[in-house]
Amino acid sequence: MDRRRVNGPAGGTAPPVYASTLTGKTASAANRTRQPNEIRKIFVKTGLTPSASGSAYLELESSPATHHSKSLTNRTPALKLTCTVHGPRPLPRSAPFSPQLLLSTRVKFAPFAARQRRGYIPDASEKDLAAHLETALRGVLIGERWPKSGVDVVVTVLEGEEDCPLEALAEGNQGGRIGGWGLMSILSGCITVASAAVTDAGIDCVDLITGGVAAIVRQPSAPLQLVLDPCPSDHEEIVAACVIGYLQSRDEVTELWAKGNISPSSSGKETKPLCFETLVDLAVEAANGARRVLVEAIKESTEAKLESSAVG
Amino acid sequence: MSRHKLVKGLDLDEELNDFDGGVEDDYDDGVSAEDKEQLRQGLIRVREVIGENGDFTDKEIEDSLWHYYYDVDKTVNYLLSQKAGSQPKKSKKKKGDAVGTAAKDFFKDSPWLNIPKERCGEILIEPLYPRGRLLGGASKADGAPKSKLAALAAARKRKENLKPEDDQDAPSSVTLLDRLGAKPRARKPDPQFSSSSSDSQRTPAEQEKTTQARKYPARKSPSAEALPAEQLTEAPSNASEDLPSSGGDGELERTPAAAPSVFARTIFGPSAESHAPAHGSADSRMSKSLEYHTEFDFTVPSPDDVVIKAQSTKRPAQKPGKQPAPQANNDRSVNAIAHGVEEVAIEDVRVRRKNLDVLAEFGKLKAKNAANFVVIGHVDAGKSTLMGRLLYDLKVIDQRTLDRYRKEAERLGKGSFALAWVLDQGTEERNRGVTIDIAMNKFETETTSFTILDAPGHRDFIPNMIAGASQADFAVLVIDASTGNFESGLKGQTKEHALLVRSMGVQRIVVAVNKLDTVAWSQSRFDEITQQISAFLTTAGFQSKNLAFIPCAGLTGDNIVHKTTDPNASWYTGPPLISLLESSEPVARALEKPLRLTIDDIFRGGVQNPLSISGRLDAGTIQVGDTILVMPAKETATIKSIEVDSAPSDWAVAGQNLILHLSDIDPKYLKSGDVICPPSAPIPCLTSLTVKVLAFSHITPMHVEVLKGRLHAPGRVTKLLAELDKASGNVVKGKKPRLLKPGAVARVLLEMEEAVPLEQGGRVVLRAGGETVGAGLVE
Repeated sequence: MDRRRVNGPAGGTAPPVYASTLTGKTASAANRTRQPNEIRKIFVKTGLTPSASGSAYLELESSPATHHSKSLTNRTPALKLTCTVHGPRPLPRSAPFSPQLLLSTRVKFAPFAARQRRGYIPDASEKDLAAHLETALRGVLIGERWPKSGVDVVVTVLEGEEDCPLEALAEGNQGGRIGGWGLMSILSGCITVASAAVTDAGIDCVDLITGGVAAIVRQPSAPLQLVLDPCPSDHEEIVAACVIGYLQSRDEVTELWAKGNISPSSSGKETKPLCFETLVDLAVEAANGARRVLVEAIKESTEAKLESSAVG
Repeated sequence: MSRHKLVKGLDLDEELNDFDGGVEDDYDDGVSAEDKEQLRQGLIRVREVIGENGDFTDKEIEDSLWHYYYDVDKTVNYLLSQKAGSQPKKSKKKKGDAVGTAAKDFFKDSPWLNIPKERCGEILIEPLYPRGRLLGGASKADGAPKSKLAALAAARKRKENLKPEDDQDAPSSVTLLDRLGAKPRARKPDPQFSSSSSDSQRTPAEQEKTTQARKYPARKSPSAEALPAEQLTEAPSNASEDLPSSGGDGELERTPAAAPSVFARTIFGPSAESHAPAHGSADSRMSKSLEYHTEFDFTVPSPDDVVIKAQSTKRPAQKPGKQPAPQANNDRSVNAIAHGVEEVAIEDVRVRRKNLDVLAEFGKLKAKNAANFVVIGHVDAGKSTLMGRLLYDLKVIDQRTLDRYRKEAERLGKGSFALAWVLDQGTEERNRGVTIDIAMNKFETETTSFTILDAPGHRDFIPNMIAGASQADFAVLVIDASTGNFESGLKGQTKEHALLVRSMGVQRIVVAVNKLDTVAWSQSRFDEITQQISAFLTTAGFQSKNLAFIPCAGLTGDNIVHKTTDPNASWYTGPPLISLLESSEPVARALEKPLRLTIDDIFRGGVQNPLSISGRLDAGTIQVGDTILVMPAKETATIKSIEVDSAPSDWAVAGQNLILHLSDIDPKYLKSGDVICPPSAPIPCLTSLTVKVLAFSHITPMHVEVLKGRLHAPGRVTKLLAELDKASGNVVKGKKPRLLKPGAVARVLLEMEEAVPLEQGGRVVLRAGGETVGAGLVE
């Protein structure tokens, strides 16, 4: 509880979920309309915050709703992230000498980011995400070129995915499922958006890093399946997932986070083995897809900057 | 000396000329044959590197080679950047020419005002802010960089921005350099810088090469494993081909870029391409709701501004004279408040003594008889349960509270303890099922108001029992009648308690033979107990007329308030316990004696009463405003207010249980066991005292603990002065005793470690090693 701020009501102000709006939907728990190998479309734009040295905004389009719902609560979750990069700026005098750029990352969920309202105090998942993001970025930045300086990368999650399908939330049986799958998509988004913002700030990098997620999901009445960029609300159950921070042109991985239960024998004979390597490879594909968007966005913003500088 | 002459003789001009000439000569000589040879070789190599896209003269190349000390790489770099830089310059020049033509010449042949349409230009006003940015913050371009580092960063950023331009204009010098460096390696253009290509396009051999150079283990690429694309998944058969293997089939090479959502468009403004929102999504709803509002034009004053402006213009015109009036009014009210605050200044609260004639007041009151009784007995005899039942049957405790206790007790597995919980409030007491400290409770009958002092039966808590017993007028001895327990009780605390209360001055005792329901209300059992106990109590010094026996059952409530209905108990025709309690004679109150109050507890009574004490008024009277003396601290205090039986009162008399709220004293001077007395008649504080002792066990000169009420003080029996005759109290002739046998009465000398407030007639208990060794009377 932060007493310095005017806090909202403790219980949260989630809009009511009426049973009548849910009746039509309960049957279709899995409603992924994308191909398994298709990632959600990404919108990236840099230069959002003028006061920061670099900034970017990223959103993952929400999967199109299969039915016309009337309630706002039934809205399919999307992902909206902003990232600001401050620096490189001189370290305070009190800080000890550092021969390279000191990177500090923060990931913050807006209070309204998810259905469950969050407080201002950073919680464990935010710290966890920040640590992962730091590992991902550390391998990309050329820190040696910026001695005695620091850079802050702040990612704000404006809208983050729910951890479980809406029905489960409505029924209140959240405890029965293992959550945290949404965090993996968020981390991948964080890596991509931070990369865009770092590029916007003009900090030297070895390559453009992008994030990608792949997962093994269980669909109702179907064997386990490999999908790119899973949306937790689309699937009945996510068995395992993997996030990757990938440098395409160097073919390097700076961040890898996998969790879940991968049993190699669980798949059929002819299919691609449901093993860890396959999962990682697919995550790399997802990262490559994100890279194409990122490259285009950066090109576009650079052109815009050139235009404005030519005019000015 | 000679040096001076030398300097004087120097021709300065000549010297300087000489020097200049020398340098020039050196420089000219500098381009040696060796240098020329190096220049020639460098020229060839540069030409080789630049290849066909370099249209530089030999002079240019030689100059730069000379400049860079024949460094081929740097020369190439320089030349290329020169070339790239020169091109935009040219175009700029052209633009400048166009602008340079005067407007006069331009409009020469057109008439004034009627300019032909084709010559009319449209003036486009650039938006103030570059789109795609949020408002706020300092624009980097305008503000001067704050520090060197920031400036460096800005410079780098600018350079970064310019880079792509270079890429488009000319083959990047970096690429060229790479080619230069990669000579010994494959002579193939590196695909690294084209974004569309991926690793898989490289040959495996090449890949191996690059991976070898790396510090980290290479990732096993799916293409390297040569996995057939069909091997992916079987369930979605259509998908297996499309899975984005890095070979990259055309379909998936498309960038999965999305159009901005409504939210994003609001952020970035309309410049972000407008896109029809997907039907049925939240975005569409959002946009629909947006349509209802006309956008506010921020160039005009806001509605608030309009209102404020209107108000400010109107007011002086309307009532010019009114303005000062409320001002004055305000001043007055402010003054009044300030004045009021001054008046309210907290004054030292002095309680006025009302000079009451307490005795007269007490006589006027004609209160009910008040009686304090202590409940004693062996541990688990059922003292607390008996009292709980008494309170419950007298409706002091309501049904609901009891039900709650019962439920909680059952949860702890102690269902039968529910009634005892009425008095045992502490958590430890409840968990252990044993009374630990004196519990006090009040109830009233038609004639008398009683205070129950429920004493702990366990031998470890005898000091607490003594504290309770010292406040009692009479005692209720509870005896467990069930088989075996009576006998063990007789050996245990039944006797000790009885002796203690007798030595504390209690005259009257009511013996409640409890738990008779467990022996089916056997009359013979009751008679046997009556016989044994009355024999013992008589020897202990109780007069037989002050003894009363009653068969009862605390758990079921028989013979407590209501007479028992059990047919087995029909032999008992006497009154129930409550009637016996009521029939107790009112005790004589020591009203005329000087004030004495032993502090039972010290606590913070509330915000207004930071210091309060509780205790029983042993003797004398007290009223609000009295100054009292606390012994042995010898500190005075003032009585701020008095609470008698938790009701405020102006006065109190002996025999009442009080709470006194004190002022003008520091709490450090108070501790439980201290005595409150009037300054006029202070209680003496003694370090050595003679005590007439009744020995319960062997007493020799030894260390003892002296207890009086709450007072605990360590001391020492130093001398056994004389043995006394039990009946007459005369000194037994003979030599001084060296040891007191149990039951003997003697006069002993006690030396206290610190002064204790005791006076003649005070009853003390001596304990040693956790046992009561004797009881005495201070002489």
